[in-house]
Amino acid sequence: MVLGRPWRRKNAHDDDPYWDFFINTPPADLVNSVPELIRGAPEGNIFPTKKELHTPEITSSHVKGMARYIGADLVGIATVSSKDAPADAPCPFAVVCAVRADYDPRTSPGVGGQVPVQNGLFVTFVLSAWIRELGFRATVAPAAHAERLAAAAGLGALDPGGRLVTREFGPRVHVADAILTDLPLAPDG
Amino acid sequence: MGDTVETVKPVNEADPEFPTPYLGRTVRIVGRGVNVDMNQSPHPKNQRGELGKALFNWYHNTVSRDPLTRVSAPNHFADRRNFIATVINQATQGKVNAKKVPVSDPAAMTRHIKAVARYMGADVVAIARAHPAFMYASTRYVQDGTAEDAYEDSTPEGLVRKFPFVIVATTAWDYDKLQAHRHHIGDAAYHVSQIKGHMVLKALEGYVKELGYTALRGVVTPQAAGVASGVGELGRNGLLINKTFGARIHMPDPILTDLPLVPDEPVDNGVEDFCKICRKCAINCPTNSITFGDKVVSNGVEKYKINWLTCYKLRPYVHDHWGSCLTCATVCPFTKPNVWWRSLAVWALRTCPIPARPLLVRALKAVDDRFWGVVSQKRVRWLDYDSGIKPGERACTVAGCTASHDEHGEAKHESKQMIGDIGYYVPLKENTNRFVKRDV
Repeated sequence: MVLGRPWRRKNAHDDDPYWDFFINTPPADLVNSVPELIRGAPEGNIFPTKKELHTPEITSSHVKGMARYIGADLVGIATVSSKDAPADAPCPFAVVCAVRADYDPRTSPGVGGQVPVQNGLFVTFVLSAWIRELGFRATVAPAAHAERLAAAAGLGALDPGGRLVTREFGPRVHVADAILTDLPLAPDG
Repeated sequence: MGDTVETVKPVNEADPEFPTPYLGRTVRIVGRGVNVDMNQSPHPKNQRGELGKALFNWYHNTVSRDPLTRVSAPNHFADRRNFIATVINQATQGKVNAKKVPVSDPAAMTRHIKAVARYMGADVVAIARAHPAFMYASTRYVQDGTAEDAYEDSTPEGLVRKFPFVIVATTAWDYDKLQAHRHHIGDAAYHVSQIKGHMVLKALEGYVKELGYTALRGVVTPQAAGVASGVGELGRNGLLINKTFGARIHMPDPILTDLPLVPDEPVDNGVEDFCKICRKCAINCPTNSITFGDKVVSNGVEKYKINWLTCYKLRPYVHDHWGSCLTCATVCPFTKPNVWWRSLAVWALRTCPIPARPLLVRALKAVDDRFWGVVSQKRVRWLDYDSGIKPGERACTVAGCTASHDEHGEAKHESKQMIGDIGYYVPLKENTNRFVKRDV
């Protein structure tokens, strides 16, 4: 097209000859990948003294504020059905965080394509650790269907393929693993 | 190869291979110095117990009362598995990709690596040309972590010949929360961006290796690389002052690499002229660790020298109330939100001819004192934190609550959780008199 639309922003990475490598070439050594590192990390202890809490509504606003501060773009709280929760540790709530993803991490295996996953893991690691330090159970649960929980928490809707579509970012969003917790929260949606 | 620390050659001005680097107007290499040995720096000294019992116990045997500090600060955790930097810094080193990505144009690669760092979440990124004087003497140093590599026996010169560039990438602290420094809110600004910086640098290191080039950590003095790459200039408070963020940036361990890049130059944003006049950090420092006087020559480098020992000694005394002091960074007139009037002021300072700058600095300083106060006092409320509560007082901890409270802090709303999270902004210099000898 000769006449480009002037308001259309030029893709900043068009003239970068290495950008495609960054987004699409999977790492040769997985030890170089930070998502792998965080995924493999063990879970810490729950702090023995429970912090005094406010009402579930206020605690929810604190959890969401903390998640946003750590780096989540969207955050919601859903009620967990009994089949998602581990039997030995009853966790009635799921905190679901989502981050913006310019490239779909499912189809972009490069270091850059996995940056949303990395950011999501960072948020869930620190947030779940923080909830444990508040004295409550919190487990990052890759097994739980995070996108379904995100839809239940009102972050967006699921498309026929089961992916989350949000008002803020459309389908360009990565839903991080859900955090299952017994912190008394007020679920959204 | 095989040279030990004792034989490391000091900076030699006559060395034709490594001429004395220009580091901007704030720092000048004037003589021979020895390379920094991180084993003699504050934290390692303290870890060995050389700074006394109080500090030793503060470092090793205290658990913070604040849950966020327990997951984000480099010590004082209850369980270190809840601290993400442990996971990141103690990880094993990945291999360098055998399939090298060819770099025909170093300028394009420089743009790429900067775009990559920003994409991963870095706020500031720049490239420095490495110099033997920037290298640590002795072993690798990563705080609360490990770094080992195949080049540990190399001399600084050998390292620089092999790896000529340093990638300096860092994160900035949140401005609004920093206003409640000497409080857990300020700690949150500092520590959360610090662990994020750890992650970004680890990811960047891994990516350089995936490109097929070596990336070494724990080798380069961050301040030196920061000044050389133009990330900032060294202020009176001993901190790097950045054009965009002022003093509110971390200086984490940079990456030494052989990736072909184009180095940046030191900058002049007028920090030299400002620090000569301002002294705001020296006035506000609770321990008087910042000099009111002129620059001194320390280890062959002419710069403002802070008294790190008195600065460090404050920590066990305040541990119950906050972790990181951050006063000198917060009160610095360069530390402002990144908005147009700030850009305008820095632009004016930068473009002003040097002889005319003192006048402009005095004007800007007057504006700063007028609007931000000679001693800044700002109440910040965030989540259930509130920096405006004096020790001993009880307060309502519901964020944004405007209900009236009786003398016991009881509000007329539902929540009865009134035990406040004690703010400790109040004790400025007065309360530190008992353990810091002051001469002004």
